Amino acid sequence: MAEKPVIVEIDVGDGAAIPRTEDKGLVSAWWLSFIGAIVCLLALLIFKPDPYVRLIKFLPDGIIVTFQVTISSIALAIVIGLFTGLGRISQNRFINLAASTYVEVVRGIPLLVQLFYIYYALGRFVRVPDMAAAVIAMSVCYGAYMGEVFRAGIKSIDYGQTEASLSLGFNKAQTMFYVILPQAWRTILPPVGNEFIALLKDTSLVSILAVADLLRRGREFASESFLYFETYTMVAIIYLIITLILSKLVSIMEERLSRHERR
Amino acid sequence: MEDKMIKHVLWTLLISCVVSTSALAQGPEIVFATDATWPPMEFVDANKDIVGYSIDYMNAAGKEAGFTPVFKAVAWDGIFAGLDANKYDAICSSVSITEERKKVMDFSEPYFKVRQALIVSSDSTAKSLDDLKGMKVGSQISTTGTFAVKKVEGVISKTYDEVGLAIEDLYNGRIEAVVCDDPVAANYALANEKYKAKLKIAAVIESGDVEYYGIALKKGNAKVLDLVNKGIQAVKAKGLDKEFQKKWIGK
Repeated sequence: MAEKPVIVEIDVGDGAAIPRTEDKGLVSAWWLSFIGAIVCLLALLIFKPDPYVRLIKFLPDGIIVTFQVTISSIALAIVIGLFTGLGRISQNRFINLAASTYVEVVRGIPLLVQLFYIYYALGRFVRVPDMAAAVIAMSVCYGAYMGEVFRAGIKSIDYGQTEASLSLGFNKAQTMFYVILPQAWRTILPPVGNEFIALLKDTSLVSILAVADLLRRGREFASESFLYFETYTMVAIIYLIITLILSKLVSIMEERLSRHERR
Repeated sequence: MEDKMIKHVLWTLLISCVVSTSALAQGPEIVFATDATWPPMEFVDANKDIVGYSIDYMNAAGKEAGFTPVFKAVAWDGIFAGLDANKYDAICSSVSITEERKKVMDFSEPYFKVRQALIVSSDSTAKSLDDLKGMKVGSQISTTGTFAVKKVEGVISKTYDEVGLAIEDLYNGRIEAVVCDDPVAANYALANEKYKAKLKIAAVIESGDVEYYGIALKKGNAKVLDLVNKGIQAVKAKGLDKEFQKKWIGK
């Protein structure tokens, strides 16, 4: 009797739930949240245009900054994560130790403290522009989490693949980049998508660095107009809509990838 | 989240207990929110006590008018929202009386006069905000300093949670200038050991009108307003405010 293939599922991070691809029903949690958020947004804009239209005109540059920080951070974090993951499984004791220590240290310090540290404490020695400081702090932090994702993903590929590839004359690097990683990617993608969404939400922390992201713009608006309820309702809805769209995109990407695999 | 809230409540209870037992004045308790990051007006000293000009002033006012002030440390960003949500009776936190603010809250009689000061690094040639077009100027979020910066076309406004963080960023060279109330500016740029060599006050911005600090209260809270006003009047009549001026600000 053929053994059932073991499906490795790794779950890291606290990102929004990626909608399950088999969930095709009209009434899913995703659709409910998404439609709800859109309806709320439109209702507010139509029925109470006074603060809300003003708000929606005030916030867009904040949304752009939030995206800039997210995209740059995730790109950098994936690169850092890839090397950290490789370092974590490296047989070289020194590299292995260095990568593990990095993960250990970064995971032991709250992101908020890291942000303060990189911006204000290190600002004494190196003059990093505010945006860059935010991106560095976010990607250093998420690089460590990403490293774990890559490590788990690479480990999920059967060692026989490596053996086969090595016996075919590939060297170690070629084995990793041509054989193992392309296969591991499918396992890695969902948690990477999760981290991406978690990171987008965590960028709200950079508002403490005087980076004018969505939350900071909201806070500025609220504290000048005293419209706290209205402002934070709007900011929350915008974050929700963005993360819902992104989680859908990740799930579509995942589906494409697995369909491709099945062919 | 729940945990954090409970912790927060416990801490504030503990702090207010400590503060209230140490207060000498009798009478009803009035809880003042204060963002203690604004030296020398209100800040946290080495003993973790909230001290400063405004604190001394309100304690004296309490003694005169018969109320016990309790100071509660609150972050500036959201301090007005807390007032609206009845988290405390009043705000004693160097709140400048402005027309916009008057629309949503009541103010006591003014107790201190300020202007906005422009702090730059000591090698800067800027003499006013107009010289800083296209450059970044920092201030604490939603203070009258921010309003002054935003009034000048072309200056890039950067808002910070605390004025101290803006000063630190100026010191580290990320921004060109900071705008804040003049006693605070003097404290950082003239008196502070770390900053005074590298920073200077370029100008005191004459934005037309002089600003006055007042105690902010929720609209219609006449009972507390009367008490506070009575206290402020008594402090002024006795000339105690001059003492506090000498003690905290000098000159």
